[in-house]
This record gives sequence, structure tokens and C-alpha cells, in this order.
Amino acid sequence: MIFDPFDRRQFLYGLGASVGTLALNAMLQADDDAKQGPLTPKPGQFPTKIKSCIFLTMSGGPSHIDTFDPKPKLGELHLKEFQRQDKFTSAMNSGKRYYVASPFKFRKVGSNGTDMCEHWKHLPEVADDLCFYRGLQAESINHPTANYHMNTGNRFGGDPAIGAWTTYGLGSLNQNLPGFVVLPEVAHPQGGSANWSNGFLPAHYQGTTLRPTGSPILDLTPPKGVTREHQRKNLDVLAKLNDKHRSRHPRHAELSARMSNYELAFRMQTEVPDIINLAKESQQTQEAYGLGNALTDSFGRRCLLARRLVEEGVRFVQIYTAGWDSHDYIEAAHSKRMESVDQPIAALIKDLKERDMLDETLIVWTGEFGRSPDNGVRGGVKFGRDHNAKAMTCWLAGGGVKAGHTIGATDEIGSEAVDVVNLIRNFHVTLLKLLGLDDNKLTYFHGGRFKQLSQTGGEVIEELLA
Amino acid sequence: MRFAFFIAISFFTFGSLVHADDASLPTAEAEILFVGKVLPLLKSRCFACHGDSPDGELKGDLDLTSREAMLKGGESGEPSLVNKKPEESLIYQAIRWDGYEMPPKENDRLNKAEIAYFESWITAGAPWPEAKRLAELQKESWEAEEGVVVETSGGESPDWTNRKYAEEDLWAYQPLSDPQVPKNSLPGSSDSAIDAFINRKIASAGIAPSDKADKLTLIRRATYDLTGLPPTPQEVHEFLNDQSPQAFHKLIDRLLDSPAYGEEMARHWLDVVRYADTAGFSNDFERPNAWRYRDYVIKAFNGDKPYDIFVTEQLAGDEILTLRNHSSGSDQREIEKFVKTNRYDISRHHNTTDSELQIAPGFLRMGPWEHTGMSVMAVTRQQFLDDVVNSTGETFLATALRCCKCHDHKFDPMPTLDYYRMQAVFAPVQFAERDAPFDEWEKTDGYIEMRQRIVGLKNNPGISLHIHENASEKEIEDARKGVNKVVKKQKSIRDRQQYRYDPLAFSVYNGPLNMGYRSNASRHPLPKTLKGDLQQVHVLTGGSIETPTDKVTPGVLSALPNSNNLVSPNEWNTIPQSLHGRRLALAQWIASEKNPLTSRVIVNRIWQWHFGKGLAENPNNFGSTGKKPSHPELLDHLASRIIEEGWSIKKLHRHIMLSETYQRAGTPSNPQQAASTDPTNKLLSWFPPRRLSGEEIRDSMLAISEELNREMGGVPIRPEINREVAFQPRHVMGSVAPAYLPSPTPGERNRRTIYAYKVRTLRDPMLEVFDQPNADNSCERRTESTVTPQVFSLFNSQNSYSRALAMATNLTKRADSESKQIQQAFQRAYGRVPSDAEFQTCQKHLEEMTAHHQKTDPVAVKSPPFIIREMVEEMTGIAFQWKEELDLYQNYVTDLQMADAPPETRALADLCLILMNSNEFLYVY
Repeated sequence: MIFDPFDRRQFLYGLGASVGTLALNAMLQADDDAKQGPLTPKPGQFPTKIKSCIFLTMSGGPSHIDTFDPKPKLGELHLKEFQRQDKFTSAMNSGKRYYVASPFKFRKVGSNGTDMCEHWKHLPEVADDLCFYRGLQAESINHPTANYHMNTGNRFGGDPAIGAWTTYGLGSLNQNLPGFVVLPEVAHPQGGSANWSNGFLPAHYQGTTLRPTGSPILDLTPPKGVTREHQRKNLDVLAKLNDKHRSRHPRHAELSARMSNYELAFRMQTEVPDIINLAKESQQTQEAYGLGNALTDSFGRRCLLARRLVEEGVRFVQIYTAGWDSHDYIEAAHSKRMESVDQPIAALIKDLKERDMLDETLIVWTGEFGRSPDNGVRGGVKFGRDHNAKAMTCWLAGGGVKAGHTIGATDEIGSEAVDVVNLIRNFHVTLLKLLGLDDNKLTYFHGGRFKQLSQTGGEVIEELLA
Repeated sequence: MRFAFFIAISFFTFGSLVHADDASLPTAEAEILFVGKVLPLLKSRCFACHGDSPDGELKGDLDLTSREAMLKGGESGEPSLVNKKPEESLIYQAIRWDGYEMPPKENDRLNKAEIAYFESWITAGAPWPEAKRLAELQKESWEAEEGVVVETSGGESPDWTNRKYAEEDLWAYQPLSDPQVPKNSLPGSSDSAIDAFINRKIASAGIAPSDKADKLTLIRRATYDLTGLPPTPQEVHEFLNDQSPQAFHKLIDRLLDSPAYGEEMARHWLDVVRYADTAGFSNDFERPNAWRYRDYVIKAFNGDKPYDIFVTEQLAGDEILTLRNHSSGSDQREIEKFVKTNRYDISRHHNTTDSELQIAPGFLRMGPWEHTGMSVMAVTRQQFLDDVVNSTGETFLATALRCCKCHDHKFDPMPTLDYYRMQAVFAPVQFAERDAPFDEWEKTDGYIEMRQRIVGLKNNPGISLHIHENASEKEIEDARKGVNKVVKKQKSIRDRQQYRYDPLAFSVYNGPLNMGYRSNASRHPLPKTLKGDLQQVHVLTGGSIETPTDKVTPGVLSALPNSNNLVSPNEWNTIPQSLHGRRLALAQWIASEKNPLTSRVIVNRIWQWHFGKGLAENPNNFGSTGKKPSHPELLDHLASRIIEEGWSIKKLHRHIMLSETYQRAGTPSNPQQAASTDPTNKLLSWFPPRRLSGEEIRDSMLAISEELNREMGGVPIRPEINREVAFQPRHVMGSVAPAYLPSPTPGERNRRTIYAYKVRTLRDPMLEVFDQPNADNSCERRTESTVTPQVFSLFNSQNSYSRALAMATNLTKRADSESKQIQQAFQRAYGRVPSDAEFQTCQKHLEEMTAHHQKTDPVAVKSPPFIIREMVEEMTGIAFQWKEELDLYQNYVTDLQMADAPPETRALADLCLILMNSNEFLYVY
């Protein structure tokens, strides 16, 4: 509760000259500090050019083997029997299993020969801006736990999301918009809003979903038929009643905060629709992001919106897209998934570059885990892959990352990371560092200890940094 | 002699940090300082990275495990230790976070005193005795160090086992003191012990406490505290006109007797235990019978069930039932042994039915949990054991046990061994939905029809393909794959939902590990026979199931008084190793007057439910990292008293509410003085105001609009929530969940929020923005945030407009003139009539708004008979759509519609909306 029972300034005026100047200044300073809003921009612990983050979540677990980490060896082993060695397996991973080759062709792109599957048709144009990472490992093979882990650092949910931690640490550059915006697909991911929760942090840091259809923010506008003038009049009467009430409780600072929130909300009602109005973008830009094309429209819109939001000073934007959970039919499903995000992502990066914003933005592309080189008994073209916590590919772009490089490696069948191997907590520490934050300093006292995104601390993955 | 040295050292380090350069310690003393203070700090804060990390890696190539290595330093090339020169020593700079910042974590950072030990040690030449001498000194140092050793079952290292604690950090583990009640230090007639303790501190701080609050404030405060609802105008009228000295007493009695009392207390309790109607994770499976636990809790509070009984039933109700009926469908031989050897007096539960005894242990399963074909049994089982131990610790003992899962507790005397011994108590616990006939008091009406609907949906979920006209055959085929999965998923969801209406308890039984358990199955009856071995619990190194070490037997927290008597165990601290009776024994250890935590914990929670903050401000954490009690003697007094008074919670409410402390005005009498002397109002010289909780706001809106249906209990009802959220497709494993449909009649929808269907992954956004906690973590105290989305939810939503219109409509029925309507609107919302100025403002507004509404034509809200929904199918990688019929909308009784109301009523609704958004409505003083 932000509850300061006393209006300190008024109290000081009341005391007049009886307080020494030094003490008076000190107390006024404290007063000003207290007046800082929870989202007031504040510096992190490390210097950085990055102002905002766009986090692209590929929900379901994209197959590294079929996107960015080719495994020709699987071509030789295709349909030979595979023996799993894990001590603890789920029903999903038990029974007779076979190696499965990738149905896709790969090629080298960019000046450093980055591996990309044939279905990445636009991404090669920005290959030199991406830093691929093949050493990441999740610690859970089930979607919601792995998703919670990637989003909050805690497999079991309930903790603040990385976007919440970031806005808690840095505030946001635009006080009239939420600092942490989530752009989900029409369908919400497993686990729902716990993926963008403020956890134990104050509610100001909760992810706000901007919805693809309907009212962009829930109840942003009153029911149909209520005009702005009508609402203004109601607000004026509300303010009068609240004023009277406040005069009876002059020491209750929360009352004023609540009153000014009504005015901010009233302003946002007109400002937010304007900010998110993609019609303001040129036809050319819209086409570049893939708007109007059935396969790319949904993701393209959200990429374009993300650019507009970071331009407006929103600190953290997370975009979700699902459908990567290809236990079977991987050829059909993964090719479509790649095509649906390929052009929008390439457009986003080019657009940010043209606006000199790429250096000020961190872009993260990741799923919650990778996929297995093997599959259970399937027939015909139904081949797919199961979950794999030990290997995956993600990539970063923007200021401070080692662009144009591929860091780390998996073994020859893609079953396990073997080089520059790191767990999610180190990935989190690295992302925070890029954003200018020190995971060990970005803490909040809760449940008897200082909590942090990495849970118990981690290491920066230096290899990913420029 | 040695002892004298130590006193000298501690005086030196604490008392004179600024000292002359030559004032270094003699070597012998510096050695003692090293062994007693410096080395343990090095071990606990430094060596993990700079010494003995398991992979042998040294961070920054720096080894701190010997004097030589320190003098050499790490990769920076500079020595860590410069002899006799702390300021030049990197290690000293680093621990002060000057340049390097070590240890890097906030949690591990050294405090001033600890930094001073290093300074003195380095100044004295940093002596590091050789091994034999070190061991001798170590032993002596444990003996001589200041602080208190706590006897426990033992830590992973002798350092931990022998470490000393500051006495003030152990306050909660001390036996209850039952302190003498002081004489009231302030003038007045109060003979309340609470006032005596509170006033003593207020008087010694020289603060003038606030006067008694006015009667309107008091009835509003008391009514919200005990029922979560506003007083009705009639209730206000009666109380204001009752001039007898007993008026407030009578009011409290009436409120405690009101069924709404149990509902409000249960809301608090369910926050702590994380109640929800679903299981969370991939599927967020419904727990179709969890609601009976919610009703059990409400009934327990309403019946003033003694708290010790309440605790025991939640931990071990099923075992008590076994003692009562000698059978539970499991192994007969074990049961006979249990019944024969157990001497627990089951007559204490004579007020609890057989069904309730099975429902209460639902507590053990309240956390989020799921096991499917996609998860690993050993992992999810361990997740349950970790959860239940931590939850038992937090809920009843204010002890966060999760901290000692991987290592001995860093700050409190809780060894890892105790954590796993507690786990062994729960090792026999398996899940089942047990047959438990509905008791007479339980709500069961309408279930036959509701069940029929669900069965109907199970046979035909009303899902069909939705595709554009020119779709190719391939497109249709692809979309159909997705639609078929939606149908299949919805059928399985409905299959589970039908059990809502069955007389089942979401419960547990004792047995060997049930390897076949899957959350996917709709119902798990008690197994007919039990096969297999009882789960053996091991200490897990680092908390990982991949590295089990020693086997453990069940036990309790050994740091508590008389709880570590392992040599000749007494009955109270001993847990049997049999299949049955482990939890009952734990419950007896917890729900006992000998356990110093239990009574303090509940008394502190109740105090918080009245004053917003507990006497100890972390009701889930009485350990050293939790805030210390502001009035420890008062806490102990109340804790002793609740035991004396048969663990009666209602009696405790009376003591609190009849005190002057509780009845003080909601503003300080002398703000300047209070601000400088006690800015956070710890001393309670005035009553701390609070904002209503999300649930209270919704319930109060329904109360003042006269729509609230006070029916109690039963299968969760579904209020109207924001429709976009209701229709939002939500991924559940492999597909999506059906759209959320509100209950079809206003009567069902407009019941209290505690009866609303609580889905972990589908929150009511209005409750969420008003700080309803998520159900995944125990919530010890709600936050009261002020964020802009609260305005959207309360000022713009259809729901608020509907409540306002209902209120206006009902006002026009009762009062024929505009002025009476305004007056009564104020009375309903605030309990008072408007002032002249307020009245004029409102009257003018009604005029203007009536004129406005005469020119407008409101749009009716339609309830669509179906919706088109969309998701990306993982087998094809492309989005597809389907049509989902919304059966309940076909005979849906909508709320009152603006379109059906005349302009005058719509104008009055504007005023009602304003009142519902006003601070006077939302805050209680």
C-alpha cells in the first residue's frame, strides 16, 4: 500500500520557521522522492544504450533442428531406433523411438554464413543483425512450467515476469501508457496471465495486454452510447464529491492519487487508440510488415504495433505466437509458423534500423525449450518431435549484442547443448545486463528474502555481448 | 579467560570502529576473531565462488581459502589481502561494495558489524591458524560467542549446528510468556488488556491518541471488518438511535452471528491457503469438488470451530475419520494397528460430520498441481511434497520452509533435515475424490438440471467448423483437424465438470505411491486395495530428486521447545512411522498450547484482519527476516488468551473490537506529532483506514443496488465478467478451453464473490486490478495499489453501469421524488444523507443528465447465441476458426438494460455510478 498518511509539505508549511533550513530541505527532498511515481524513469546499474525490449515468444517450443540449427547426421539416422538414457522420463518420451531427419533444406546466409532453414525467406536480409545462441537449456519439459520459467524465472509461476522486473527497475519513458505491454495472439498461452504477472511486485508492473480485437485495453472506453461530454460531466461531479471527502481526510494521500488516476484514464481513452492506430502507417510500411496477407497479418500487426509502442517510450513489449508444438506434422506446421513470423520480424528489424532505433532496442526471439531429434512411433508424413529441455536456439538483436555471430553449439544430433551451455537464469541475467540492470541489485524483499529474476543469482553469458 | 577476550573483542568491534592505526588486536585475539567471525563469513558468503565450488571453478581466478591465496589475489593481479592495511585490501573494498561489490547478492551482503570483523582481522595481521589450532579455537569459539545456540536435529555442517542466534530473532520460538497486563497508562475507563498494552507505548511516545470515532464510522468499520459488506440504512439507523452503553457490544454480537461473518473470514483464509476451483498449469483442470472445502471453511468460522480443531481437521481429517469408523477402504491390518495404538480423543470432533472430515484435508491439495503424460512423475510428486510442507509451514507456523529445501536455513534454526522429516509426514498422502454424502446444511438445489446441461454438452459441445465460402478442400481438411481437437477437449472438460454436482470430497488417503495417477482422469476414487511400498523420503542434495542422500523418518521442527527430544521421544514431538497417523501426530504437535507458534500465528492474522497489519507485519514469516512484533507482550497475551478461551476466534474479535484502540477515529488527533513520532502508525494512536478489497467492492455494489443474493454455498456461480475476457480463447493442453459463460439468471450471478468460480488462468479482471492475489502463492496480506486500470474497470465497465442502473431503478421504486432518491442513494452508499452542497450538486447533475438522456437512445447489450473463435493449430501451423454455441445465452435473463429505462432513471444511474466510484464508498475509516 502506498499510503503516506501525511501531506508532508503542508505539514512543513504549517510549522513555518521553526524547522532549520537544512532539515527543511532534507524533508522536502524526501517529499519529492516520495512524489516520484512507480513508473518514473530511473537509471539501471550498468550503462546501456538500450531503452526498450521487444520480446518475441514462440510458444510451444520451436524446433531448433528445423529452424536454425541443422543436423545433417539425422539424415543418416532417419528412422533408426533411438535409445533414451534419461533417468526421469515422462510418458511422452517413453516407448520405442526413432531418429527423425529434418524435412527442410538449410542454407548459409549473411556475411558469416549463418544457418537458416529454407522457410526463412526474409530473415536472411537481417542475418548480420542477429546473434544466435545454441547453448541455452531449460529445466522443464512441460509447456507451462517451461513458459513460466522463461517468463518469470520460476517454473511454478506466481513470480514477476521479466517485463515486470524491467519496468520495476527502469520505470517507463511514457507515464501515460503502461510500461509493460503484452500483445498476445487471439488465444492466450497456457498459464494465461501468470506469464505476464507482476507476481509479488506492486500492481504497476503488471503486463497490460493490448488486445488484437475489441477494446485494446479492457474497458478503456465506456459502454456504447456514452459520450465523452457525458462522461466528463460525471467525472466533474465525482471530483466534487471526492474533494469534499478529501477535505475531511486531509492526511490520506491515497485519495489524491486515486482522483488523479481518473483524469489520466480519461486522457488515455483518446490517446491510446491514436497510438495503436496502424492506419497511420504508410501503405508501404504496412505491406512490409505483411499486413493484409492472411498468414502474416496477425503477427505483422503486432510487430508494427510494438515498434509504435517503443517509439512512444513503452519499456517492454512482449509478443506471443503459438503453434510451435509439433509432435507430428512438423513439415506442414513449422513451415507455416516460420512463414507467419519471418517477414514481420525482418520488417521490424529493418524499420528500427532505418529509424536509428535498433541500437536502442533489445529484441529477443525464443521459445520455452527446443525439440527432440527423435519421435515415437509415427507413420507416413506425421513425423514430429517431442519436447527437449537440453537444447534449443534463441536469438538476440539490437544494441550491445554480438550481432552476426552464432554462439554455442549442440551435439551432432541436436539432443543436447555442448558448447557455451547455460541455464535460463544466466540468460535472464544477460538480458537484464543488456537492459542496464544487475540481477543481483534488482531485488525485492518478499517472503523473508530478497527475490530476484534469476531466483538465486546467475552469470552473464559474456559470449553474447558485443 | 577466553570468555573475557570475547567480550573485549565485541566491545572493540562494535563500540569503537574509529580507532587509531596502532590499536590493532594482539594476534591471539585476532585468531579468535578469525575463527569465530571471519572464517564462518568466508565460508558462507565467499567460498562458493572463490574456493570450493563443486566444479572446482574459481570465479575471477580468485581463491580465498587460505592466507597465501588471498595474498596472491585473482586475475586482477592485485592481492586480495594487503597485510595490516584493510583500506588497500581488495577483499575489504569488495565487502564494502566499494569498487567490487561482493558478495554480489543483496541477500548475502555483509552488514556493518561483519565488515568491521574483517577490518580488525586484517589490521591485526590477518592471522590464519593451522588446522589443529583452528579446530581447537573453533570449538572454543562456538562456546564463547555471543548469542544463543538453538538445539536442532542438526545441520549439514557443525558450523551451522553450533551457530548462534541473536535472541531477538528467536522471539517466535520462545514459549508463550503470558505477560502481566500493565495498568492503563492513559486516562479513561477502559479495562481492556489490549488498551493497556497499546496505551503504554502511546503514552511513553508522548502521543495523544485520537478520540473515539463517531458512530457512523464505527458501524461501517465493524460491519466491513466482520462481514465485508456495508451496513444497510436500516442498520445504521438502529445503531445511531441505540443510546445504550451496550450498543456497540450488541452490534458486534449481531455481526458475529451473521452468516456473512464466515464468508468474510473465509475470504481471508482462502488467500492464505491459495484456494481455487482449478489446478493450474497446462490444462488448468477443474477441481470439481473443491468448493466443498470453501464451504467447510465458511461454516467453521460461522460456528466458531475452535482453531485447534480447525487446524487438525485440515491436516488429518481423513485419519480422524478412520479412527471414527475403523475403515477407509484401504489396508485393514494397518488400520487396525492405527486404531489400536492411537490415543487421540476423537470426540473433540463431535461437531464435524464424516463428510467434513474428508473435505477438510483438501487443504493439503490446495496448491497448483498437475501430472499428465507430458510430465515426469518423480518431479510432480516432489513438487507436491515441497508444496505441502511449505504451505503447512506458512499457514499454521508462519515459517517459510521452502528456504531449507536445498540447504540449512540461512537465518533461522531450521535444518534441511527437518524439512525432509516434515516431508516424510506427508509421504503416505495420495490423492482421491472420496465419496462423501452431502450434509443437510450443504446447498444442493438445482444440481440435477445443471448436471443434465453438462452431460448434454459432453455429448454435444456445440462446436462446428467455421470457414470462408471459397475454402479449398485442403483448407477445410486442415481446419477440421483443429475443430476435432477442440471438440475432443471440450468433451473431456465437460466430463470432469459433471462431478461438481456429485457428493465427492476433494481429498486424500494414506497409501503407497500411486504410480498410475494422472490428472487427466476425471475422478480418482479410493483404491480398493493398496499395493506397493510406502514412499521413502530422502534428504535431497540441493533439493534435486537426482541426488538423494540419507533416508529420513518423519519428524517435526526440532528448533521448537521440547521438540528435539530424539533420544527418548515423548509423544508430543514424535511422529509414528506407520502408514496411518503421521499427519494426526503432526496436527497434534501444531494445534497444541505447547507449540509457541500456532496461537501467535492465528492471533496475529486476526489482528491484521482488523487493523490492516499484524502486530508482527509478516503473518507468514515469524523468522528472523520477518518483521518483529511491534507489541510482543500484547501478542503473547492474546495468544495465551485464545488458548485459555478454548481457541475461540469469535471471542478474540470481541476483545479486539471492544477495545478503545479499535474504536479510535480514522485520523490522528495531532497530525504533526503523529507524523514525526510515529509516521507509520505502528503504535495505533489512530485507526488505520483501508481500501475495500476487490471482492468487497463487487459485493458492496451489489448490496447497495439491492441485487445481492445472500444464498450461501454450493457449486461455484459465475458472475458477469468482462465479455472480451470471457470469450478469450485460452490454450489448454493441445487445444482451448470453452468460453466462460455467466450463470443464466441474475439471482445466481449476483451472489457474493466468494462463491464465484475461481479459475487460476482466467481471472476476473476487475478483481485482479483491485489486488486479488493470484492463487499460486500464499498471500499473507493484500496490497492496496492505486492503478489506472482500476478506473477503467470501475468507471467504464458494463458491469458497473448495470449495477448503477439496478440501484437507480430500485431507488425509483422506493422513493417517488428526486430529492428522496438522492438522499437514499447517499444513505445506501455512505450510510448518511448528503450535505446541502452535495445535494445541490447532485440535483443539478440529475437535471442536466435527464436532459442529456432525453436526447439519446441507448444501445441494448445483446447476448450472442454463438461466437466465432480462433486459434493456431499446431498440426498445421495455421489459424483456424470454429463456431461455438453459447447455450446459456439462449435463455439468458440479462441484467436491467439502459434501453429499457426512462431518461430520469438513466440520469439517476449516472449518480449511482459516481457514488460507486467515489472515495467515500471505497475506503473504510
